[in-house]
Amino acid sequence: MATTKTSESTANVKVDTAAIRAREQVTARRVMFAGSGEPLALIGAMVVLIIIFSILNPRFATIENLQNVLNQASLPLIIGLGATLVILIGSIDLSVEGVMGAAGVAFVLLSANSRGGQDMGIWAWILPLALAAALGATSGLIYTMLRVPSFIVTLGMWFVGFGIATILYGTDAYPELTDDTVTLWAAKINFGLPNVFWVAAIFTVIVALVIRYTRFGRVALAVGNNEEIARSNGMPIIKNKIFIFIVAGLFSGLAGILATMQMGGTSNHIGDGYLFITIPAVVIGGTSLGGGKGGVFRTAIGVLLLTILNNGLVLAGVSPSYQSAVSGAILVVAIVAAAWPQRGRLRIAK
Amino acid sequence: MTKAKEATTPVLRLTDVQKSFGSVHALKGVSLEINRGEVIGLIGENGAGKSTLLKILTGIYQPDKGTIAVNGSTVKFRNPRDSAAAGIGVVHQEQSLFTNLTVAENIAMNGAASKGYGTTFGFYRWGKLNKAAAQTLEIIGSKLNPKTRVGDLSFVDRQMVEIARAISVDTSKNATPLVILDEPTSLLERGETAILEREIRKLKDFGSVIFVSHRLDEIIRNCDRILVMRNGELVADRVTTTVTEDELFKLMVGHESHATAHERRARPANETPAIEVTGLTRKGKFNNVSLSVHSGRVTAIVGTSGSGREEFSRALFGAEKFDGGSIVLNGREARGWRIPKAVKRGMGFVPAERKVEGMVGGFTAAENIVLTHPGDAAFGPILKPWKRNKIAQQWFTTLDVRPNDIGQNLERFSGGNQQKVVLAKWLSDPELRVLVLDHPLRGLDPGAAETVNEQIKAACKKGAAVILLADTLEEALEMGDDVVVMRDGVISATYDLSVDNPSTLDLLERMV
Repeated sequence: MATTKTSESTANVKVDTAAIRAREQVTARRVMFAGSGEPLALIGAMVVLIIIFSILNPRFATIENLQNVLNQASLPLIIGLGATLVILIGSIDLSVEGVMGAAGVAFVLLSANSRGGQDMGIWAWILPLALAAALGATSGLIYTMLRVPSFIVTLGMWFVGFGIATILYGTDAYPELTDDTVTLWAAKINFGLPNVFWVAAIFTVIVALVIRYTRFGRVALAVGNNEEIARSNGMPIIKNKIFIFIVAGLFSGLAGILATMQMGGTSNHIGDGYLFITIPAVVIGGTSLGGGKGGVFRTAIGVLLLTILNNGLVLAGVSPSYQSAVSGAILVVAIVAAAWPQRGRLRIAK
Repeated sequence: MTKAKEATTPVLRLTDVQKSFGSVHALKGVSLEINRGEVIGLIGENGAGKSTLLKILTGIYQPDKGTIAVNGSTVKFRNPRDSAAAGIGVVHQEQSLFTNLTVAENIAMNGAASKGYGTTFGFYRWGKLNKAAAQTLEIIGSKLNPKTRVGDLSFVDRQMVEIARAISVDTSKNATPLVILDEPTSLLERGETAILEREIRKLKDFGSVIFVSHRLDEIIRNCDRILVMRNGELVADRVTTTVTEDELFKLMVGHESHATAHERRARPANETPAIEVTGLTRKGKFNNVSLSVHSGRVTAIVGTSGSGREEFSRALFGAEKFDGGSIVLNGREARGWRIPKAVKRGMGFVPAERKVEGMVGGFTAAENIVLTHPGDAAFGPILKPWKRNKIAQQWFTTLDVRPNDIGQNLERFSGGNQQKVVLAKWLSDPELRVLVLDHPLRGLDPGAAETVNEQIKAACKKGAAVILLADTLEEALEMGDDVVVMRDGVISATYDLSVDNPSTLDLLERMV
């Protein structure tokens, strides 16, 4: 009896490995296309947009406008780096605009400005960034220690940050930066492209390397894929999450400072509108809101796509009163298109 | 340690290990020994204490009392890392790999947890990591590429990665790893199980194995010694050559098997079938599938995971769309087919993904039972909770759901008891005509499986037509009146069991 069973099972092995191998080849092929096809489709969409806008307005496809687009894309990209990390672990950071405001106002008041006060030099950078990091750390601590959903925590921190910005701003006149080397630095062209873009590009590469080559980055991916398993593997989940929120805060703070430099001064509202472009850019780029899937180069593509869209609409002469509605509608369409391939199975969207 | 001593010291020795959760005594003093090169079968019903024991061995729980000795020296596992560092690796019941990471990274998770395996100061050294993974994979005879993402692998290959990970534990303290296989076969198709069994035989050459399974034939086929748990105690320790399946069942459950044979009902000549499917097609999934099931009969559909039988069964219930063909229920065609219509027309569906689709986790068991067919528990849109509890209590008694607490959140029940509740939800439809069951016995212990099967038979007797996607071919042959074999989206064979008598090998030939 025992011997017949064994021989039967070995027979099964033979038959089935062939079938399994065939099935595997099919999956491998499907995955290859799914993997590389998505960013390609986005770049394709970008090319189509560029062609359309070039036809509508010849000024679109000029070097100056390219520099202009990259200039505009830089801050959303810098914020998007932090947002990508946060979304990779399956959380979300809505505090972006508040943190930007707090860091921006702190920066302008610590630099040489029209309200007077002292120029703190390097401390004008360090203190606002420390404030931004502290806001991020607070979100991270509340999120992990008190187990409050990141959505709620960061919504609150948005307004805490905004409140700090408002208090620091006070009721005096609009503070302007008085040092021209500071105000002109961000838009200054180096190697053909604006400085602020080089900052964004360098940080993008650094974050990509961190995700690929460090335990910190791999643990973040693991947590986003399946937190339960990560925990049972003894991974430092809480440390990882808090650190990611700190990094996200730092990027928002940096963006607040750079925005202030671009504007030549600031109010507590410096961050307004940035959240709306950043999160959709991350999602359109293909970083899954569920966590574990995506990366910062995808975010870069998403940011460029949305910036080109906005810039093109302006140049095409779309009335500013329609623009917000048009770009909102296009966003929804883009996200539906991005999610379309996964709609197959019975899935509940919350 | 000398060679002779090493050979006689057990790899693992537990002495009087106890664990309680509140007033529940989950482990009441378990003592056991596992020797080098042994394959130990561990069986027991859900709730017998198996999982608690495994969680203690893997450092997730700490025992209240008793000692664990690895290789003769007493150890304390404070967390999963300690256990991995002592040479204990696990293949979890539900696959626990990171699908977005590579094979090499997943294999390194155990090692990485215990020391800087493939990383220097937090920086990855991919070359070293991939090489180490390739070596581990070679030990178990797998030729997977360590750079592949796990999400791109087939189910059985993922299982190989799990095994590789389990044996890549730190062997510096314990040269022979102990691998715990926690129901590794419950989600595998038959041919894939055979591959796994071959791996178990290989593991024996360099380590010891604890093999947990609900399939008693597998346990007998693969293990040297079998430990049976019941109510938190070890009730039997048998050498495999001296036991039978029936004996093991009795030891586990505490009574003899009550299973009754399914009363086959001959295909009626002039009766309208309860469900008649003609040429049902969904591009790329299944093609031109026709079958009919009469009231009181069971049609079992078998096939490998690419056969399209899952998609077909879901389409019947309106859970997925189909492109062509028709479904006729009791002579009336199903149009604009969606789940709410299917339910209204007396269909029920037990999905394979119980936790995701089969139940509402945040609800109590009672609420789940009356979810779709409230009967007396509702007056129009107004719910009557007091009636609900009475109905639920009746089902709990009929189905022997444990613990007997209808107000308990359904998530807290074990898999087998959850499945009983899911089934009760459909059985409480007085107008139940067609019941579609997608792997109803998945992950169930033999006692719970018996109860579920008995209820399926009872539903048949009351006139329901059943379409069953069985876990095993044996289950299909035991429960079915007809067996339909699907391959690559089409029906490759149909057997009427009142006339034909196919063997499992016959079915298998038509499947691949």
